[in-house]
Parts: sequence; structure tokens; C-alpha cells
Amino acid sequence: MTPRLELDCVSVRFGGVNAVQGLSLSVAPGEIRGLIGPNGAGKTTVINAITGAVRTSDGAVRLDGRDITRLPAHEISKLGVGRTFQHVEAFGEMSVLDNVLVGVGRATKGWILQYAFGTPHARHCERHLRRLAHETLEAFGLLDIRNARAADLPFGLLKKMDLARSIAAAPSLLLMDEPTSGMSEAEADSAIAAARILASSRGTTLLVVEHNMRVMMALAQRITVMQFGAVIAQGTPQEIQGNAIVIDAYLGTDDHEEGHDVVH
Amino acid sequence: MFDTALRPVHILYGTGALLVLLAGTTLGSYPSYLISLALINVIAAVGLNLLVGNSGQISLCHSSFMAIGAYGSSMLTAMFGLPFWLSIPCAALGAAAVGALLGMPARRLSGIYLALATLAFLQIVQIAIEESADFTGGVRGLDVPKAFFWPSVPVGPRSLFFVVAGACALSIWSAANLLKSKLGREINAARLSPHAAQALGVSVARVKLTAFALSAAYAGLAGGLLSLVVGFVEPNEFGISAALRQLTFIVVGGMGSLAGSVLGALALSGLPELLRSAKEYSDLASALILLASLLFMPRGLVTLWQHLTVRTVHPVARPNRSPAK
Repeated sequence: MTPRLELDCVSVRFGGVNAVQGLSLSVAPGEIRGLIGPNGAGKTTVINAITGAVRTSDGAVRLDGRDITRLPAHEISKLGVGRTFQHVEAFGEMSVLDNVLVGVGRATKGWILQYAFGTPHARHCERHLRRLAHETLEAFGLLDIRNARAADLPFGLLKKMDLARSIAAAPSLLLMDEPTSGMSEAEADSAIAAARILASSRGTTLLVVEHNMRVMMALAQRITVMQFGAVIAQGTPQEIQGNAIVIDAYLGTDDHEEGHDVVH
Repeated sequence: MFDTALRPVHILYGTGALLVLLAGTTLGSYPSYLISLALINVIAAVGLNLLVGNSGQISLCHSSFMAIGAYGSSMLTAMFGLPFWLSIPCAALGAAAVGALLGMPARRLSGIYLALATLAFLQIVQIAIEESADFTGGVRGLDVPKAFFWPSVPVGPRSLFFVVAGACALSIWSAANLLKSKLGREINAARLSPHAAQALGVSVARVKLTAFALSAAYAGLAGGLLSLVVGFVEPNEFGISAALRQLTFIVVGGMGSLAGSVLGALALSGLPELLRSAKEYSDLASALILLASLLFMPRGLVTLWQHLTVRTVHPVARPNRSPAK
């Protein structure tokens, strides 16, 4: 079966720094894949390389067998690749509803004059978008605060909104960058449950970067471990938990501080 | 799911329409002329705010697009005998096309670099008008042919006032529709976080270009109307001071806010008339008022309006701060 997502020897360089070096990764359709590694391992850069937010210097990214390496970010998004952000990137002055509406809008098209004169077609499309946004907001329990300005929300709710915004457009591949950071345990559980239900009902493939190992162990079917921009281990959560290399990478042989946010 | 209830903004629109109707039927020619100019300023400000306030691209050449609208419509009428209701939309479309052309290189620039690029464009338009004196009259200016609905039906001063008022209403209404639409959200999203907008399938480059073209279209419309109302166009009217004045409208009114464009343009158009009694101090007084409004209402006159509407309409619903805490 063609993998949903395939990275073939992908490298990303920033000046003289090799953020990602010859990384290969293959995720099957419908799979929930975890991506972990110590800070600075290059996890977010991998997500940026897949979504076209940074240019790869080498290698190929394929979506359902199609090469998307050189496509602009918005076209990759239109092919069904969604993402969340480590630091949310909310449209701060817009309402929660409007944030999500931007997310669902990618499939509809219209002419400027249709929007300017509010033609029946434009109004019909708008109603459709609002219905989709409404459903997603409801699934994430954000309906009550839909008119709040995003900039006024605390970080945990913003992360939830970010998740809702990315999932509202029904991506076939969703890349989640630390989706539960800033959330309480209960918030994290409910957000992840909502994401999982929506993902499984649509057959969405998930690639999740997460430091909360409790969430990761419960969510991921397989886990890929990165260090220094390369894959150092791969396997089921149980295998990874017992893997000596991984423990070493996270905790360091002389037990230094880097792994403090991983141990629970 | 659409909000169809009567909101303060509807009441404001209604009152505005009524006032304009009253003014158009009762006032003499000079006050009507002043109000026409103010309404034209509103149209220009609405367009400029879409570009600067909403899409986040600074422009120092909005007056150049007005010049394209003004000269374009005058020349279309003079050369092809087009009625104003054809020549002005054509000129506005022309301005939009030029705006899109300018937007193409401009979308790679931002901040001070974009300001300088648009300033260069303003100079080019000025020079082009001055140097092609055979068509534009050069620095001496150009007499605008009398407006007509149909070759045998001229537009009287009173009808012209209503034409301007109608165009102003159309501009406000269409901009309100645009801002509420998918395109409007995308224009704002491109400004607030281009990174997230791209990831959500918004082509930031295309959206910025669209904003340039749209803003130029409104300016073209304003310019075309200005040429009819004044009856004479000269390049000086569309120089850097006009461009800066339009920026002042939206900064004083409220960046990125349609109500702000309207309030800012009306207030600053009316101010010189109100200060007329201050004679030689009127410039000083208007500068002081401008400074005070920037100091005390940095987000624009529109904050006054928002205070009003939020209190009267949503007495409880200010759903800020987390309910989850």
C-alpha cells in the first residue's frame, strides 16, 4: 500500500546548521504516529518541511505517492495536509469562530464581486462554511466562546482552538506540534479524545509531536524517535519505552537536565 | 445562523442615509459640494483601509489610483463620449489592474521598503501625468467634461450629489460584505499570521495582491467622482500630501475597521470647516486635535463607537477570559 506520508532522505539546513539530516519516514494511511525526541532534535523542522513552511535542501516528501517537496505551503494544505502550531499562531484579533472559518475555507472558491455584492452563491457558501465550523467548535467544546477574541484566550484554550482550526477542514494528514502543551491533564484528554474521534471517523492520518508521554503512549500506534535531526529508533510505544538508546538520548548517561519535561 | 437582528450599525446606516437625503434636497450648492467631497474621502478611506489596515500593506500612493480614476474617466468621456456611469467604473477597473500590477512586486516588500516602493510609484504617476500634456493637460490641469446620464440628459448638481452619496453607500456596503466574507477573513489572516494562513490553504501572495487591486478600485471610483464634482483635475491634487491625508483618515478613524474609515474621513473632512472661525489658528488647532486623538484613542475614533455598541447591545456578552479557569 502507498504510504500516506513518505519522507525520503530529507535534509534541512539553516546556514551551517543541519536541522534535519537524511531523515526517512513512512506513515501508513490511518496510522497515528508519534514523533519524539529531545529539544532541538528537529521535530518541528520535520513538520515545517512536510508543510512547505521551510525549504528542504535535499530529499523528497511524498503524499500518497505524489511528490510535494517543492509545492508552496498553501497548495500542500489544499492537498489535505493540516497542521497545528507549537506556539498556536492564532489570528489574534479575530474571533475563535473566524479563526476556524479560515481553516474550513480552503475548499470553496468565489469571485471578488460575489463576495462584495453578497450574491446568493456567496451566501450559500458562507452558510456551508459556518455549519462546518460550528460542528468542529461543538466537538471541541468551544462553541460558548466562539465570539471571543482569540488574543483574549489563555494558552490552553488557544491550543484547543488551533487543533479545531486545523481539523475543521478534514485533512487527510494532520501534523500536530505539541497539541497538549499548556493544557491541564483533563483538557489534554478531552482535546485528544475529540481529535482522535474526528480523525478515526474520517480516516485521518496523524503525526504527533508531543512531550507528554502519558498522552503519547495512549495515542500513538507507533513512535519514531529523533535526535540531532535523524531517526534513532522506531517501534510500538512499549518497545520505545524500553529502548536503551531512547532512554539514553532523553536522559543522557550522566543524567543531565534535558529530559526533565519527559519524565512522568 | 446569520444575525438578522437590528443592530446599532443598521441604525447608524439608516440615520446616515436620512441625513444625506435631507442634505441633498435642502442644502445649497456649497454645503452640498463640501459633503460630496467628504463622501468621496470616505470612499477613498474605505479602500485604503482594506489595504493598510486589513491586509497590512502600507501604501503611500493611494492618491495615484485616484488620479488614474479621475484622469481615466475624464479622458474616456472626452474621447469616446461615454456616460459617467460607464467611464467611472471603467476607470476604477483600470486602477484595479494597475494596482494588481504594482501589487506583484510590492507583495515581496513590507514596512519601510513597501512605503518607499509605493512612493516611487506615486512619483511615476505624477511624472506620467505632467509629461503627457497632450492627453492630460500636464501641470495646467484638465477640464472635466460635464457629466451626463445619456448624451441628451446632463447630470444636474443635485443629482450629482446623490450619485456621489449612492456610490459612497455602495462602497461601504460592498466593503462590509467583503470583510465578512471568506476573502475578508483571509485578508485579515494574511496580516495576523501569514504562517498559519498558508498552512490553512490561504495563498498569502494572492490575497495581498487582491487587496492591492481592491483598494485601487475604490480609489479609482473616488477619483472619478472627484473629477465630476470639482470639474477640473490637476496633478497636484493627487500628490504625496493627498496620500498622507488619506492615511491620516484611517489612522485617526481606526486601522482595519470599516466604521473607522467612515468616521475618520468624515471627521477630518469636517474639521477644517468647523475650525474656520479660528482663522489663522485653524491649522494649529486641527494638528492639536489630531495629536490628542492619537494619544487618547490610539486605536482610532472607532473605539468610541465600539464602547457604545458593546454596552447597548451585549450588556453581558463580553466573553473574554477563560471560562475554563
